[in-house]
Amino acid sequence: MPARGSAPKQSRRLSWDKVYTKKLFRQYRLEGDEDARDELITMYLNLVKYLASRFRNRGEPIDDLVQVGTIGLIKAIDRFDIERQVEFTTYATPTITGELKRYFRDKGWAIKVPRRLQELSFKVSQAVDALTQKNQRSPTIAEIAEYLDVTSEEVLEAMETSEAYNFVSLETDRGGDGSDSFSILEYVGKDDVLMAMVDDRTTLSAAFQHLTPQEQRVLYLRFFVGLTQTEIAQKLDISQMQVSRLLRRTLRVLRENIVRD
Amino acid sequence: MHNETVTLIVPARSEYAKTVRMTAATLVSRTNMNYDEVEDVRMAADEAFVYAVETLDPGADVRFEFQVVGDLLTMDVSLGTGERNATEEAERSATYATFILESVCDSYQFVSDDTGAHLRITKQAGTVHAS
Repeated sequence: MPARGSAPKQSRRLSWDKVYTKKLFRQYRLEGDEDARDELITMYLNLVKYLASRFRNRGEPIDDLVQVGTIGLIKAIDRFDIERQVEFTTYATPTITGELKRYFRDKGWAIKVPRRLQELSFKVSQAVDALTQKNQRSPTIAEIAEYLDVTSEEVLEAMETSEAYNFVSLETDRGGDGSDSFSILEYVGKDDVLMAMVDDRTTLSAAFQHLTPQEQRVLYLRFFVGLTQTEIAQKLDISQMQVSRLLRRTLRVLRENIVRD
Repeated sequence: MHNETVTLIVPARSEYAKTVRMTAATLVSRTNMNYDEVEDVRMAADEAFVYAVETLDPGADVRFEFQVVGDLLTMDVSLGTGERNATEEAERSATYATFILESVCDSYQFVSDDTGAHLRITKQAGTVHAS
């Protein structure tokens, strides 16, 4: 049960007017007023700046962090449910910090960190993804340690290390001693994202033809708008179980058609 | 169930933030908290520490008391008299700090007793699910 705290001996003067915020949300959502959306973004930019500044000692230019945080803010504005009895700041803060955390998690680093820890940090990140996928939940520290055959302390040290992130040339030799050197580019080896997207879009749009309008809508709400299953259920007035089944079936149909094509 | 307290006293200077984060993370690593929850604990410890640094007089120490009972972490942070600068920036910073605490902890509370002002934070395993 989250308890609201109150800071001692200080007013809780906010630069954001709750009533005005609600008004802007209504204008944006119900009337499609894009100016209201822009005003919301400008209004809450200070929150982004503060949250970004909390990550400032991690080697990234603050302007970049503000940009990343602003993406989180925009997502929060677009996804915020105006009917829900929750303050926008309460909803937006985890979305913005989540975006910043993900940004750091997905990056390479340049700050001098012992090679063993750099590699372990990479492995921890991969282990978290692998175990989350396998168990359908976030793993505990002990599970990550067991998976990687290291101690819990090493996992924690790696988590701490992974914050010393920074930009690094993709071609930088990360081996150091030259014997078994590898560059991040070799390590990561990604497809050209934009090219892959063109290909994916063509394949997907063909496969979409096989879906009913409702199935298309559920997919759209889940993967494009980013709503949770529960939120989709409320929107379409069906149960969360039905959404889950619908999603599974839709994805199977898509997969079969993509494979066939 | 043991009811043991771990106390950490560090100078109120930002370079000790890592010590605080690591201590908090190490203490909860044996609970059933998952990766994301441990991340939250680290952020909460960090935020509480920064709040304390901004509140306490220069040269003061920050005292953390951690208790882990089962899957529940309780963190008590000393804030001296608890009085902060009344500047607009300090107030804004305090407000933002509470937003972060609200989003990463189960509860946080500013309390005062005869030992001064404290920030009390709790975090229980099983509240954050991987998205």
